[in-house]
Amino acid sequence: MSRYLKLVDFEIKRFLKIYLVLVGVTIVSQLLGVIFTSKNYLNLANEMMYKEMLSKETFLQQYGSFSFLQVTQTTWFVGPIALCIVTLLIYVFFIWYRDWFGKNTFIYRLLMLPTARLNVYLAKATTIFLFVLGLVSIQLILLPIENNILQLIIPTDLRTDLATAEIINSFYYLAILFPYSFTEFLIYYGLGFMAVFVVFTSILFERSFRLKGVVLGVLYGGFSLLILFSPVLIDGLILVNFFYPLEIFLLSCLMAVIVTAMSIWLSNYLLKNKIRV
Amino acid sequence: MIEVKGVTKKFGRKQVLKGISFTAEKGEITCLIGINGVGKTTIMNAIMALTPINNGQILINGEEIHKGSYEKITFIPDAITMLPQMKISDAMQFMDDFYDCWNQKRADEMLGFFKLDKNERISSLSKGNTAKVNLLLGLAMDVDYVLMDEPFSGIDIFSREQIAEVFTSHLIEDRGVIITTHEINDIEHLIDKAILLNEGVVLKEFNTEEIRENEGKSVIDVMREVYQS
Repeated sequence: MSRYLKLVDFEIKRFLKIYLVLVGVTIVSQLLGVIFTSKNYLNLANEMMYKEMLSKETFLQQYGSFSFLQVTQTTWFVGPIALCIVTLLIYVFFIWYRDWFGKNTFIYRLLMLPTARLNVYLAKATTIFLFVLGLVSIQLILLPIENNILQLIIPTDLRTDLATAEIINSFYYLAILFPYSFTEFLIYYGLGFMAVFVVFTSILFERSFRLKGVVLGVLYGGFSLLILFSPVLIDGLILVNFFYPLEIFLLSCLMAVIVTAMSIWLSNYLLKNKIRV
Repeated sequence: MIEVKGVTKKFGRKQVLKGISFTAEKGEITCLIGINGVGKTTIMNAIMALTPINNGQILINGEEIHKGSYEKITFIPDAITMLPQMKISDAMQFMDDFYDCWNQKRADEMLGFFKLDKNERISSLSKGNTAKVNLLLGLAMDVDYVLMDEPFSGIDIFSREQIAEVFTSHLIEDRGVIITTHEINDIEHLIDKAILLNEGVVLKEFNTEEIRENEGKSVIDVMREVYQS
């Protein structure tokens, strides 16, 4: 196995326990959410129809039928997704800083490995990508299971059945996580992964030049944004309405590739020549 | 041979190294001596490319350090370079996974010599045992050069004796060793070359055997002369 793959394997194992907790919390919370929300609706329906003597039609008129969309509006469902996103955002920083700080200085070992230092950088980035894609996949597997549980609890005449694709499309945040087309997937995830590379490079600026590096890191982040949005800015401010929307889109994609390549090249330079323990 | 040529290093406004030059040969124990803060650790970090230098050049066997060099030279810092949650066996496995020069037989031998339990976690080790594991991870590599930063710092007398014993064993034989210390007593009789540092400059570099034979002085005598003058 190449040293890069060994590093990826090592980085994954370092975060695996927390990652499994996140997966566990997501599964348990969302399943409980489906059960509780469905049961609450069923209790309400029973109360209205058997105690308040509302007919089924009147009840449905007043309260509407139950669908999976109601589950997606609850903290049970959104909470773990938010928790996973926040944890992974923190982990983008933690994956580097933990090697410098604390009692044991593992960064010595990482920088003294007989492999290109860029492999350490790429292994950390790959780990983040795998964790993100892993969580998204688990969510994708969970949705139909949760939908089936809902259908087991709520009787047919009280619910509106939605296919998994319909659930995703009618909930804004899920639509970002699970893009409708491959192009959208490339845009959302490409931008996300580009952002990870930019943040990693900014961290390496800080680790190389310390206080001065914080300024350099922030400037680099700003510069990357400027390059990324340069086609939009040029079209809006300099050559007003010069480009077709498709051209702006393609130019922006090109800029994202340039920013990513620039981040990797700069990080390689910093790791080889400027980094300090 | 490790060649350090006119190396300067600044941290902010503070000039830590002011044109340091020396060489360390294979088969010799070279000792960098000086009080805390004179730049001993910075030199070690610079040799291993763990901190960039401002000027000068560092060569290992005539080449600047590159990824392949880490199969020929190892650095044992004063803190352990493995994760606290790792067992000693995990740390050894990590080294075996990443270094072609890792010598498992030698690692097992050192494990026995230091009487360490490989199932113990690094976080639960005493300071002395942590230093021993650190030494084990460095010396079990079949490398030409070994750099050690303050190997005796803050450890008990029995661990010191055990570590000092390593210097006279086959574990060091034929290798070039650079060691930094401000506690010279434990290894005075073992070192071949002493380099006295102060405020980022080399005050004196001498062959310990020559000075013993020709002038009848110990390293500590020379240190007294140099630092008190």
